[in-house]
Formats: sequence, structure tokens, C-alpha cells
Amino acid sequence: MELHLTTEQTLLRDSAAKFIATAGPKVAHTMRGREPSFAPERLRRAGELGWLGMLVPSSADGLGLGLTELALVIEQAGRGLACEPIGFAAIAAAALAQGPAPHPMLQRLMRGDALVVPALQENAHGLDLIAPRTQAAPRERAPRLTGVKTSVCADGADGFLASANGPDGPALYYVAREAPGVSITATQTVEGRKLATLALNDAPADLVPPRQSSRGAVEALTDLALFALSAELLGVMVGAQELAFEYLRVRRQFDKPIGAFQALQHKAVDIYIKTETTRSLLYQIANANDPYRMEPALVAAIKAKASADALAVTQACIQLHGAIGFTDEHDIGLYLKRAMLLSSMLGNAAAQRRRYIEITGLGI
Amino acid sequence: MFRRDSSHEAAFRAEVRTWLAANLPPELRGRANRPPPDKLMPWYRALSHKGWIAPHWPKEYGGMGATLNEQIIMTEELARAGAPQLPAQGLNHIGPLLMEFGTAAQKAEHLPPIIAGTVIWAQGYSEPGAGSDLASLATRATLEGDHFVVQGQKIWTTWGHHSDWMFALVRTDPQAQPRHAGISFLLLDLKSPGITIRPIVTIAGDDEFSEVFFDEVAVPAENLVGKLNDGWRIANALLGHERLGTSNPQFALMALERIKIMARASGVMAEPAFRDRLAEASINVMTLSALFNHAVELTNRRRSPGHEASIIKIFGTELLQSLNDLLIEAAGSEAALQNPIPTDFGAVEVSTPFLQARRATIYGGSSEIQRNIIARRVLKLPQ
Repeated sequence: MELHLTTEQTLLRDSAAKFIATAGPKVAHTMRGREPSFAPERLRRAGELGWLGMLVPSSADGLGLGLTELALVIEQAGRGLACEPIGFAAIAAAALAQGPAPHPMLQRLMRGDALVVPALQENAHGLDLIAPRTQAAPRERAPRLTGVKTSVCADGADGFLASANGPDGPALYYVAREAPGVSITATQTVEGRKLATLALNDAPADLVPPRQSSRGAVEALTDLALFALSAELLGVMVGAQELAFEYLRVRRQFDKPIGAFQALQHKAVDIYIKTETTRSLLYQIANANDPYRMEPALVAAIKAKASADALAVTQACIQLHGAIGFTDEHDIGLYLKRAMLLSSMLGNAAAQRRRYIEITGLGI
Repeated sequence: MFRRDSSHEAAFRAEVRTWLAANLPPELRGRANRPPPDKLMPWYRALSHKGWIAPHWPKEYGGMGATLNEQIIMTEELARAGAPQLPAQGLNHIGPLLMEFGTAAQKAEHLPPIIAGTVIWAQGYSEPGAGSDLASLATRATLEGDHFVVQGQKIWTTWGHHSDWMFALVRTDPQAQPRHAGISFLLLDLKSPGITIRPIVTIAGDDEFSEVFFDEVAVPAENLVGKLNDGWRIANALLGHERLGTSNPQFALMALERIKIMARASGVMAEPAFRDRLAEASINVMTLSALFNHAVELTNRRRSPGHEASIIKIFGTELLQSLNDLLIEAAGSEAALQNPIPTDFGAVEVSTPFLQARRATIYGGSSEIQRNIIARRVLKLPQ
């Protein structure tokens, strides 16, 4: 179902779609395994368009927009398989803009001249997101971090927003990539980019303060990251179904387009229902939540649903393509691989359901 | 869930909640079956007297003219109180349809009794030979002077034997091609001579629907809605409203409550595998609420959510069935018991809602027909 958008929101979505289509899946094929796995000049262009500072208040030179605008842009990034980590950059900027004085990295990050990404995970199921084992000490002088962060999208990153257990409980810290005590081991994924393990050994860091009157900085960034991943997963579903539905119209067998067969039509509708229900849930949540004070149960719910549905949709889209869908040359496989990566990050569908149960107690 | 009430809305919510607590009879709460008219219609008229029977109707026709948010608040609070499902054919179908297509005389005659709850309406669409293929319907209406003569049969008529009037699709041109070009939309007084109504018992044990026979029934010509042979367009114009109405998250929310009570009582709530599926079900119910909010937004803006509303019907009704699957799983060996199951947390209806849920994916256009509609009208797949 169409969204009820303002004129400004429609323009933003359309300009994002236009920009992202200039690269698209064809470029995504060529970026696989590269270092970095995206085009730095396109990240800068996203910065010029204001997207990386989308959530940053206008007092810190950002656009001061909300979750709906964030989702509209990131959905397009997923749909066009953009390789630039626009979502992670935008939420990292939001985090660095907090506190009495914005972090020195903020301006470069918003321009796309530098990249900062979240490093929140310590476990393959995202079990330690809110209670990290990485330690930050001591209180008296500049903090230093010791611990291991996993599944970090470190490609091209100049710094990280790492969660750690500080003197006052879980807190968020900025760690520069080149800081002493930081060592990175990157492993190739099927999707194109690498996932890194970040070993921190007494690495110097800056405390990133939470926004006044908001939830803790770690919780706020975790929820923003889960929401951004969900928005991109929605875009992946949309892009994959567009390819598959077009194929149903043009591919002919038994002297007619295969889309005329009811068995395939009903499969197509099941794909469409998954996409559209994810869209409704995502944008209703966007509409109802402040970026720094999201309802964690809603966030767990949308990441659970988007993760499960994106995997199901992209797999079904390969099936609709038949043998050509199983080739590396065709774009549809890239959508499945993007879904594999994003759905697994910060806790997959099953892990999010466990989180949902912890948060809500299932209402009993 | 997805909105924060404004202070005005919060006050309205509190007023609704307080009023429901004081006025909704306990024996009508949380029921899986629709109560019979002698129990249900007094409640209908109580809502009417309060001015809350038709939140979505404009004030000029006796509705509340409520804002979108007020409508959602009403829905949420009715669900929370476990309010029973009201007969909706008047409020959601023929009422809005007459506002759009009816003559001034038809509106003046028929709309006030719907608001007042003094007349119950039935829908006469399906026939023994015309279910999913509705355009093949064969009930004839022949214009003879100032009246139609109606001959034929309708079936699966919800509350037919409790109803006073029926809006029906009838064949007025047997030769027309395509077939739906020969169908008209007619209002019939069910007390007219020549009408026989027989209740049909469902697998859930109730007599919610019936079959209606027409033998040379005279219907005044002024009971035609719209133009002759234009009935198909009129009936379809507001189908989105029906799909929306039947997918109200109220029923899914009530199903979820039954599961939680049953699972606590039977001990299965402690099982991680069960909890995972309950979490998934809860997220799907949340999604249905989002979908419903989204569709109501669109409805209020464009009057009809269009064919996209079919996805709500499919998602909502298939979800209702999967929730009831979870319910009988939670009940274990008590699943097949006919009566409500007594527990420490109150009696829970199990087999009745499970059986009732079978109808949801059939009426108002089966899930398969809905998928055909989306494939053709929304995805524009080749035929």
C-alpha cells in the first residue's frame, strides 16, 4: 500500500531512488571483495545530499529529520543494492552529535569524508548488545577499551562506535581505527563486504554521551541500527520482487508468459504480502517513534519480521527465476546474499524474537 | 501501539474505556460466537444511544464523524473490553454504499434505522451456483411495470433469518456479455410474500448463516440502487471496506489473549519452542495492527483503500487461523472439548474459535480469489 507522505518526503525518496539507480546492482557485482567494498566518492555525494546528517539536529549542521525520512532513503539503498554504508554512517552521525559538544569526527562523517560505523556485537546472536563484556577503564583519565567486538562492517571505516561496560555501566565509545591497541581481522562474506573482528587491547577511546533525557547511548544506537537494517531489508525485498515480477511478465514457456500460471501468481502474491506487511510495520513504527527514544519491543519486532521475510522473499524470487536465478551473473542472487548478511547482523530473526520475549514478557 | 494520544484523544480514550467498563454486559465479553439478536441488539442500541455506533459515518447521517485516530481508539478500546462483533452489513456495507449511490428517498428511509439498530440487514450475493464465480449468479429480477419480480435463491446469508432487509445482486439481463454487465443492485424487504428463509448450522455449531428462497417476490422498482444493470460496479466500489472490516485486529488480539491464558493454564508457556512461536504470532498481530492503521489512513484520504485491501484480508484471516492453531496446541488434549475450558484464569473458549476461524478465509472472497485479484489488479501479471 502506498505511504501517506508529505511533498518533502516524496521528493527525498525520489531523489534517493534516482541517485542509487545510477550505480545499482551492476556496480554491486564489481565491488565484491574490493577494499573498500564501496565507492568513497559516492559516499561523499550522499554526504553532499545531506543524507549522512539526516538525523543530526540543525544546530549541529544536520537536517534534523526523523525515522520516516531515514527509512525512505535506506529503503532505496537496499532496493538498488547500494554498496555505500549510508545507514550506518547516518546513525553513527546521530550518535556523535549528542552531548554538550559534538564529537570532532562529526563534520567529516556528515560530509562523507570519513566513515564511522557501529561496533556493538560480541556474539553471533547479538546476545550482548545491551550488556557488553568489553571493559572501559578507568574513570580518572581518558578511557581505554579492552575486549572483542565481532561482525563489524569495518570496510573503509576510519573509526568505530563501540559499546563497553564503563564505570557507570554500559556506555558508548568512539575508537579510531588507527588507535594503538586496535587490531582488525576481516573475513570475506558472500555479499561482497567483509565482516571484521575488532580486538581492543587497552585502546584509547572517547566517551560518547547519551542525549539528554533519552535512553542510554548504547540502547539508542542499537535500536537505530536495528531499525536501519530493517529498512534496508525492506528495500532488498522490494528490489528482488521487482526483478522477479518483471521476469514473470517476459519469460515465456508453454507459449505464454509464465506469470499467467496461477501457481506462480499465488507465489508472487505471497512475496508481495511479505513485502507490504513489512513496509506497513516499518513505517508505522517510524511515524510513532523518536529516533533517540524508540520502543525496544517494536524494534525487535520489525527486525525479526524483516529478517525472516527478506530471506523468504529473496529465496522465493530465485525460485521464480528458475535456473538463471542460480547463476552468479544474474542480479537476483545478490539480493539473497544482501538479505543473508543484513538479516544476520545484530541478531537474526530468532534472536530478535528472544529479545522481544525478554522485553515484553509476552504480555503475561 | 503506534501512536501517542493527544490530550484530547487521551480524554476520549478514557471516556470510552470507562463507559465500556460500566455498560458492556459481562456475558457479552470475549465471546468467540456472535451472541443471538435478543442479547446483541440491546448492546447495539446502547452504543447507538451513546452516539458511538458509527464512528466512521459522517454526522449528517447520524454518525460520529470521528477522526481517524478516534476511530482507531474506539476499535482498540472495544477490543480491550472484549466487545462482541456487531452485525456489520448495515454499518459497513449498505450504509456507506447508499451514502454514495442511493437516492435521497433511499437514504432517508434506510440510514436512520441502521444507526438506531431497529433494522438488521443481510447481504444477498452468493448463490448455490455462484460462489467464487459470483458473476454467474442466476437469481432473476424481471421488471414488470412499477415493480421487479424476483425468482431464485441466495445462500451463506449471514444472519439472514434475523434480518429485516437484504441488499442483493440480481440478474436483470440474462443475455448480457460479459455476464456482470447484466446484474443489478436491489433492496428487498424480507417480510415480502414469497420469501422463505432457512438457517444453516455451521461446523462451529451455530446458525450464523442461512439460505433465502425467492418465489415470485414483488419488489418496488424504486428499490433499485443506481442504474439498471450497473449493480456489479456498485457492489465492487466498496468491497475494500468489507475487506477492511473483516480484518479488524480486534479478533486477532482476542485470539492472542485466549492463547496466553490457555498456555499459562496448561504450563506450555514455559516451553522455549512455544514461546518462540508465540513471539512470532504476537509480532504478526502487531503487524496486522500496523496494516490496519495504514489502510484506515488511506481510506480516510481517498475513500477506498482499493485492491491493496485484499492483502489485509489475506494476512488478517490467515493469521487468525494460525493463532487458533497455536490455541489448540496450547490446550493439548483438551483441544477438542466442546465447551469452554475452565482454568485458574477463567474459562477459555478453544474449539469454538478454532472452528469459527475456518470461515474467515472463505467469506468475502476466499484467500485464493483475493490472490487472483492482487495478481491481476495490483501486480498486473499476465492473464
